[in-house]
Amino acid sequence: MAQVETFYYDNAIVRKFAYATMLWSVVGMLVGLIAAFQLIMPELNLGIPYTTFGRIRPLHTNAAIFAFVGNGIYMGIYYSLQRLLKTRMFSNALSNIHFWGWQAIIVMAAVTLPLGITSAKEYAELEWPIDIAIALVWVVFGINMFGTIIKRRENHLYVAIWFYIATWITITVLHICNNIEIPVSATKSYNIFAGVQDALVQWWYGHNAVAFFLTTPYLGLMYYFLPKAANRPVYSYRLSIIHFWALIFIYIWAGPHHLLYSSLPDWAQSLGTVFSIMLIAPSWGGMLNGLLTLRGAWDRVRQDPVLKFMVVAITAYGMATFEGPMLSIKSVNAISHFTDWTIGHVHIGTLGWNGFLTFGILYWLIPRLFDTKLYSLKLANAHFWIGTLGIAFYAIPLYWAGWVQSLMWKEFTPDGFLKYGNFLETVTQILPMYYIRALGGTLYFAGTLVMIYNLIATIRQGSFIGDEAAEAPARIASDGVHKGEHWHRWIERRPIQLLIASAIAILIGGILEIFPMVMIESNVPKIASVKPYTPLELHGRDLYIREGCMGCHSQMVRPFRSETERYGEYSKSGEFIYDRPFLWGSKRTGPDLHREGGKYPDSWHYNHMVDPQSMSPGSIMPPYPWMLRDEMNLSTLPRKIEVLRMLGTPYPEGFEDEAVADLKKQAAGVAERLRKDGVEDDKLEKREIVALIAYLQRLGTDIKPKPQTN
Amino acid sequence: MYKYILEGVGNINWMAISALITFVTIFLVSAVMAFRSTPLFLNKMSNLPLEDSILKTSETAISHEEK
Repeated sequence: MAQVETFYYDNAIVRKFAYATMLWSVVGMLVGLIAAFQLIMPELNLGIPYTTFGRIRPLHTNAAIFAFVGNGIYMGIYYSLQRLLKTRMFSNALSNIHFWGWQAIIVMAAVTLPLGITSAKEYAELEWPIDIAIALVWVVFGINMFGTIIKRRENHLYVAIWFYIATWITITVLHICNNIEIPVSATKSYNIFAGVQDALVQWWYGHNAVAFFLTTPYLGLMYYFLPKAANRPVYSYRLSIIHFWALIFIYIWAGPHHLLYSSLPDWAQSLGTVFSIMLIAPSWGGMLNGLLTLRGAWDRVRQDPVLKFMVVAITAYGMATFEGPMLSIKSVNAISHFTDWTIGHVHIGTLGWNGFLTFGILYWLIPRLFDTKLYSLKLANAHFWIGTLGIAFYAIPLYWAGWVQSLMWKEFTPDGFLKYGNFLETVTQILPMYYIRALGGTLYFAGTLVMIYNLIATIRQGSFIGDEAAEAPARIASDGVHKGEHWHRWIERRPIQLLIASAIAILIGGILEIFPMVMIESNVPKIASVKPYTPLELHGRDLYIREGCMGCHSQMVRPFRSETERYGEYSKSGEFIYDRPFLWGSKRTGPDLHREGGKYPDSWHYNHMVDPQSMSPGSIMPPYPWMLRDEMNLSTLPRKIEVLRMLGTPYPEGFEDEAVADLKKQAAGVAERLRKDGVEDDKLEKREIVALIAYLQRLGTDIKPKPQTN
Repeated sequence: MYKYILEGVGNINWMAISALITFVTIFLVSAVMAFRSTPLFLNKMSNLPLEDSILKTSETAISHEEK
């Protein structure tokens, strides 16, 4: 019999992460609420650069995912890991470096994103210095987690821990591969991938950020906190083994479902669809395992707000993981892509699964950390109902809006013309749904505030247990092989091997999808007339990225007649070969811009940017007056040319020395046209707007016959 | 209709096939060993969250349910 040892669980680090989760829940949701209100009251963009929807939206997504859910993950992992392994965390110092490092990253994000310092890659917007910081903090977290696993007293690794291990290794791979970039300056870099390859790597990353940051760690938390809250074991351990391996293998392939009917090659789209549909099985395995854990105990759900939150969370997970595969079917995606249906789907997952599970865990955990009871069960129940209503009022109007707008986009008159040729009509029609969505978000946010009040009152009335005493026998190091033991039980006791096996499982999908895209040239047919962006156009493109225009405007005309009639020729993969990053976009709050070049005179764009409503009455697009005022900062332009040439864009050798002169020449041409149309400004050729106009006028013109006059 | 499907069957490349085979193999192996685990082992693993070796239970009876 091994020696029984007394030790102490570290609750101080759990408390830190819990406080951070509470703080960032309020911040992240508030930013989201502001964004929602900006769509119905464009005045809320305030006419200054730092608060436009385009810059605020990524702030909301990053805050919700990495600040709120991120700290929630760490809170849950640090609590459950210690207790499942019957040991204290490996290193107090690493725990604290992890905590403060992560909060520092959040603060850096909150500063840089409103400043327009962004890579324009969704959920990976943070620029390269912060990417490095994330990698370092993540490694610290990994060392702390694996160190704890190695010094454990419990031999076997409970299923939650496999999910944590798979999370760690996969996020490492994802973060590195999607952020391989060459710096231009401290605040700007260019990704090594371009165009279609960039799109595929981005959405391999993007969907797997959902899978391995929003799903697998939370499944791990569910497997721990639901049995704790219900005081009964999980329904089927067998099921958890099977669905774990299936989930981590299949999820990786689902990324191309973000790129259906785009210029991604067909074979990659099909893989994405097929694997997304297969994903229903392991996802629902997880859901059923969770819900069936409560079989025979449903009366307790009625009484206990913690269980209420968890049940709705798991149900929302099931809903979202059924809806997602449905949205991955091409015929469904043809309707849903670029619409609010996608946003509705996202928020079922984030508000329902991530939000509610976090709330359930907080309500369970805080009283225990502070050795007291929850301050008010009534308020917790009230939060539950307000929050649930909030989710409903959020998602249902967006489903409605998505369908309405998509059907309007696609409708033809009997004569064969687009019925709603003016894009703005389709936006105006769905504004009432945006009002209701804002109400839904407000309700959800209000519920969160009720929770914060309740938890603070609980903390106040309790006394914190910083180090929780526990007793367990030491681990017998060499267990030997149990007779007739199967490989999975063998691997559960060997965390490093489990890590490596998980890594192989997840790498297969990525490698098999991405390598052919990158290596096989025929996947991206070249188009001879496609040339690199001129320096002025490049500068304009980077301004487009800075302002977050891709948050509302797509650049991917799909091969549907309703799109070719509205926008022009559908987008070919060869047109994007010099696009770093790709800017296909995910949402059309405004029209697609890929064929914008040559549609309107320069002065139209000039007037539209300073006041969109003057050119499009009723538009919800914010104004950008500073672009007419601020002068272009050309200090990094030569370096940009150098870096892009290094990455494969065929700028001639030495072109960086001529780039500024080339830009000024082209800018003078744009300024001349603007002056002819009545724009008065002495320094017009120096203004940022000139670069943006040049970029917009270039868009989609590569495959059009060149105009006779300049 | 089947003629059209079967005509295209030769175009499936080796990467897609190997991916499918890899997945099916891993899945079948996990399923087989899951069903061969003993009830004793499964019970032990399922109950791990419920035994966290904490020395003393809290003095105030922690109950998050309404009476």
